[in-house]
Amino acid sequence: MHTYIDKIREIASRLLKEEAVEMVIGYQEGTLPMISPPMSVRSAEDVEKLTWSSHCCINLANYLTDIKGKVAVFAKGCDCRSIVNHIAEGKVKREDVVIIGVPCNGMMERRTISNIFGDEIEEVVEEADGTVIVRGKGREEKYQKSDLLRQCCRVCVHKNPVLYDELVADPVAIPEDIQRYKEVEKIEAREIDKRWKFFENLISTCIRCYACRDACPTCYCPTCFVDEAQPQWVGKGDDEPDVMTFHILRAFHTAGRCTDCGACVSACPMGINMRAFTKKLEKDCLDLWDWEAGLTSDMRPALETFTPSDPEDNFK
Amino acid sequence: MRILQIDKKDWSAGLEKSRKDYTLIGPVKEGNNVSKFKELAAGEEPDFSITTTTMSPKSVVFPQSEVMFTFTTDSASADCNIMKVPEKSYSPRAVIGIRPFDAVAMKIVKMNFDTPDYQDPYWCDAYAACTFIGLAITDPEACDFSTSTGTGPFDTSGLDVLLVDAGDYYLAEVVTDKGDSWIQSASFDQEADAESVEILHSMRKEAKKKIESTVEFANIDKKETLDLYNEKYWDSISFPCLNCGTCTYVCPTCWCFDIQDEMAHKNGRRMKNWDSCMFPNFTIHTTGHNPRNTKLMRVRQRFMHKLKYHQSKYNMGIMCVGCGRCVTSCPVNIDIREVCKQMNS
Amino acid sequence: MLTHIGIEPERLQFSWISSAESTKFIDVVTEVVEAVRKVGPNTRLVKNMVREP
Repeated sequence: MHTYIDKIREIASRLLKEEAVEMVIGYQEGTLPMISPPMSVRSAEDVEKLTWSSHCCINLANYLTDIKGKVAVFAKGCDCRSIVNHIAEGKVKREDVVIIGVPCNGMMERRTISNIFGDEIEEVVEEADGTVIVRGKGREEKYQKSDLLRQCCRVCVHKNPVLYDELVADPVAIPEDIQRYKEVEKIEAREIDKRWKFFENLISTCIRCYACRDACPTCYCPTCFVDEAQPQWVGKGDDEPDVMTFHILRAFHTAGRCTDCGACVSACPMGINMRAFTKKLEKDCLDLWDWEAGLTSDMRPALETFTPSDPEDNFK
Repeated sequence: MRILQIDKKDWSAGLEKSRKDYTLIGPVKEGNNVSKFKELAAGEEPDFSITTTTMSPKSVVFPQSEVMFTFTTDSASADCNIMKVPEKSYSPRAVIGIRPFDAVAMKIVKMNFDTPDYQDPYWCDAYAACTFIGLAITDPEACDFSTSTGTGPFDTSGLDVLLVDAGDYYLAEVVTDKGDSWIQSASFDQEADAESVEILHSMRKEAKKKIESTVEFANIDKKETLDLYNEKYWDSISFPCLNCGTCTYVCPTCWCFDIQDEMAHKNGRRMKNWDSCMFPNFTIHTTGHNPRNTKLMRVRQRFMHKLKYHQSKYNMGIMCVGCGRCVTSCPVNIDIREVCKQMNS
Repeated sequence: MLTHIGIEPERLQFSWISSAESTKFIDVVTEVVEAVRKVGPNTRLVKNMVREP
């Protein structure tokens, strides 16, 4: 981790000194344990504020949308794919962004660690051997990092940046035995009524703060459909059909574009796993059209294209 | 003011007894370690292991969505164009286990909904129905900075009764007559002895000492509003902000709402829904012009309202009780304590 | 995805019908109506205020 941080600061400092970019977007140290919030650095003196940790859960591609001037951004595998998607959709020009790829071994969410540890956490230390030491008031526990990883990181097969100008470290190994869609298959195996109950239950604590939408790099509509007043597509109260409509439609809008970066889940103050919606769409895109988001900027996302060979099994 | 001693063995029975006169509301855990204040079903007890609930108890008097009235535009109906308030129950509610800072927050919110000129009947009626049976914070969380915002872990100013967990028993400081009525309804009648009262005082001191997190804001009031408004730091403070509504929704003192009409065929209802100054829609005009059209402006507005405008208008300190919810819930860790420090410096 | 989250598949049907295929159109619409009638009134994603007349 420290080698990452040193390298990140070195690159940021160089780019700013050379005036190759106006701004570097990275992560800073948080005021609480287990969170590294995004930050922007504009002068080489400030690069010491940049950091890296296993809590860089927010997707930095989100901060590139419609940005003016030349910027550098640190990007994990998923962030990188989101940037590729941005380029494909014309939200970012390739020449305006210096992508500094960060090979990633997965991120850990505050909520997961807190839930497992139980008490309030004062400090989390990650050892080089993959163990994580969690300290609370008068108590210390040791965990394997692999047990604390975010669900999206556990099933991630794109840990290494796909498009970059330079890399912070050598690419990391991708385990071969990853079952990417186990979560989706578990839901698919249930009866229809049980599935509805599952999703009803999933969103039951949603407070409609829209943190999931706002943390999502693909959610960049100037006016989101839930904010439209004429016509008003969806009610704004806490009625379940309205809340569900928001989640379904948001998921649909990300179909073929979502990189399963998990920022939505990490941002949710209520810990809702809205990936249960989006992961199914990711699986469908792969099964039906052999499409994975953010691997190439030469093609439009799956739902925006048509070929005569597209499967039509659902058509009568 | 009297102080009672309630044996924990008698607690459940007392709670149950009070149900004949009160609807009980208390903190409960839902899935995923998310907690909020909810009406307690028969046999369900408030979960006192939660120090700060994920969602504040403001929803007890100010629900996220509330129907104000219903109407029909059906000319065939006798009720055509008549606005009807749905039947609501304002029978006594006992909010058991509300934390002192949250009760103080209710008083702050009251300044908005209950003014000499205007009263929001929905909020006022719900507030009047409430008896606040508070629970002292003996083990403050790291983000609790309530002592420096003028409340504190044992503050009774918003409460009718303050409960203190003293091990095998609760000490109950009866603050108001309203609180006394609940105590009587629950048939708690054992006066605390001098020794227990001493314990209460020492626990109060102890708990206050445990709060290490503080904010200072005295200078903010002295500074010119426009100077604060034009500060450069708003750029870096607002940069990570997602402009989601989390901070405002979890905040016990955020009171903003939006009014919406919902129609189905010829029947409609008018709703009062929580709104957030973090949303672009909050300020957009019908012309399409938005006076607060950037993220920076919206973030600045929230902190200026909490830490500057409120004090300027009411001269009653800042509009923050130091519960720490926005600090822990913010997806990008925007910390009001840090913002306060910058504004105060 | 709608069936994935629990919307009955009978309510979701897709067809290609050319403007010249009037008989196919009638057949498909009849089938759809019958299929939906069989599963009964929809309760999912329907607001209470709409459900109650």
